[in-house]
Amino acid sequence: MQTVKMVISGAVNAGKTEFIKAISEIEVVSTERRATDDTKLIKKETTVAMDFGRIAIADDLVLHLFGTPGQKRFDFMWEILSEGMLGLVILVDSTRPETFRETNRIIDFFVSYRDTPYVIAANKQDRPNAWSPDELRLALRQPPHVKVLPCVASDRESVKNVLLELLYVIQERSED
Amino acid sequence: MALVGNIRDFGLSDFLYLVDRGYKTGGLHLSHGEETALLFFERGKLVMAARKPEDQHPDLLVRLGILNEAQLAQARASLANRDNGTTLTDVIIEENLAAKEQFQGALQSFTEEAVYGLFGWPEGEFLFEQNQRPAREAPVIPTPISVDHLIMEGVRRIDEWGRIKDRIPSTDMVVRFLDQPGERAKGVKLAAEEWRVFARINGRDTLAEIARKTNLSEFDVCRIVYGFLTAGLVEVMRQPRPLPVKGGATVADPPRVKRSLVNRIINRIKGM
Ligand SMILES: Nc1nc2c(ncn2[C@@H]2O[C@H](COP(=O)(O)OP(=O)(O)OP(=O)(O)O)[C@@H](O)[C@H]2O)c(=O)[nH]1
Ligand SMILES: [Mg+2]
Repeated sequence: MQTVKMVISGAVNAGKTEFIKAISEIEVVSTERRATDDTKLIKKETTVAMDFGRIAIADDLVLHLFGTPGQKRFDFMWEILSEGMLGLVILVDSTRPETFRETNRIIDFFVSYRDTPYVIAANKQDRPNAWSPDELRLALRQPPHVKVLPCVASDRESVKNVLLELLYVIQERSED
Repeated sequence: MALVGNIRDFGLSDFLYLVDRGYKTGGLHLSHGEETALLFFERGKLVMAARKPEDQHPDLLVRLGILNEAQLAQARASLANRDNGTTLTDVIIEENLAAKEQFQGALQSFTEEAVYGLFGWPEGEFLFEQNQRPAREAPVIPTPISVDHLIMEGVRRIDEWGRIKDRIPSTDMVVRFLDQPGERAKGVKLAAEEWRVFARINGRDTLAEIARKTNLSEFDVCRIVYGFLTAGLVEVMRQPRPLPVKGGATVADPPRVKRSLVNRIINRIKGM
């Protein structure tokens, strides 16, 4: 059995748990706990360890989705999660510009030292005052070749689309 | 839809960059304690900035010595007979009530100063109402002001590390020119000190090395480079890490994946 891995990251409350839930075939083993650091100012429950989702591709192949934990003190997990990943989805809460800098820090962490295929999902597009993908591209200073996609993490079709767009990026770089 | 936030988290220079690159039209409403400001942009360029409600009023043109009372009255009377697409500024120019250069010059300095003051705000709520335009009678600038010019000058007035550190986390980073700074590079005017730094950018030297070679403090170099970054002229990168080599490929290379594997995943997700 071969397993491949994708990582879903983003600032606290971006919608990582929601995203994985929308597409995973198994109950997401997300360890929601009460937040203990600054996160608790934003929300009561945050993802402490990480999220995990699974999609069986065939009898011999499984795709694992790992969501990074929200709180800063778990940043050491990122290194471990990113090892050998196929690609990365960066989720952004499009209604909260105060998280854009943190988002850049996350992109920088995953992308600056290795050439990881990634896409940015402009999440919560269903909410009023969501910044559009074009606006987010400028706000996050992403070059034109990086895909910034509209997303509603609770909507399975939307999540599928984001994963497919990431897979097309990976496909371009794959070998015969 | 409106874009809302706080300039503490998403700085004014970041916002101006967004307006410029996104060719945005609309009104930016800012408030900080008792103070407020209202800026209008037309396709990415600044056409008006008011720090006080009375600065949105045509009387401003008299206060700035661009028109006298009689000329203003004449302009307003003509405007009343014109279609909705015509502004007071159009009328003043067309009827030669003020010389265009003088009109532009006086209003431009006033507007720029109003904006520069905003860079000193440590925080403030902003709301950008897309496609909102000034009133027809409002004192808008005849030739809109390019925003990158404002960004450079505004950033010159920033002196806090915090904001700079966000974009330049370490002085070990290397500065290089963007491959395609495009037309923008032409509009930017640099001060002498900035030229010294500019001339040292070679894609190899770190910020610390540039500071040493220019005899400027690291802080000054970072502040100046921050301005270049914000204006979209350069980028800063980490130095490539020396990597152990494994069979020709560096460890940092992502694993090469087989196209057939990717295609299988794509087909499966499409079918979900
Ligand atoms: N309207 C809307 N709400 C969303 C969307 N995605 C997530 N949410 C909500 O946003 C909140 C945060 O979502 P989570 O999935 O918990 O975010 P997270 O990234 O896992 O958060 P942490 O684990 O704490 O970092 C929840 O209340 C979700 O229901 C979306 O696309 N639209
Ligand atoms: Mg979560």
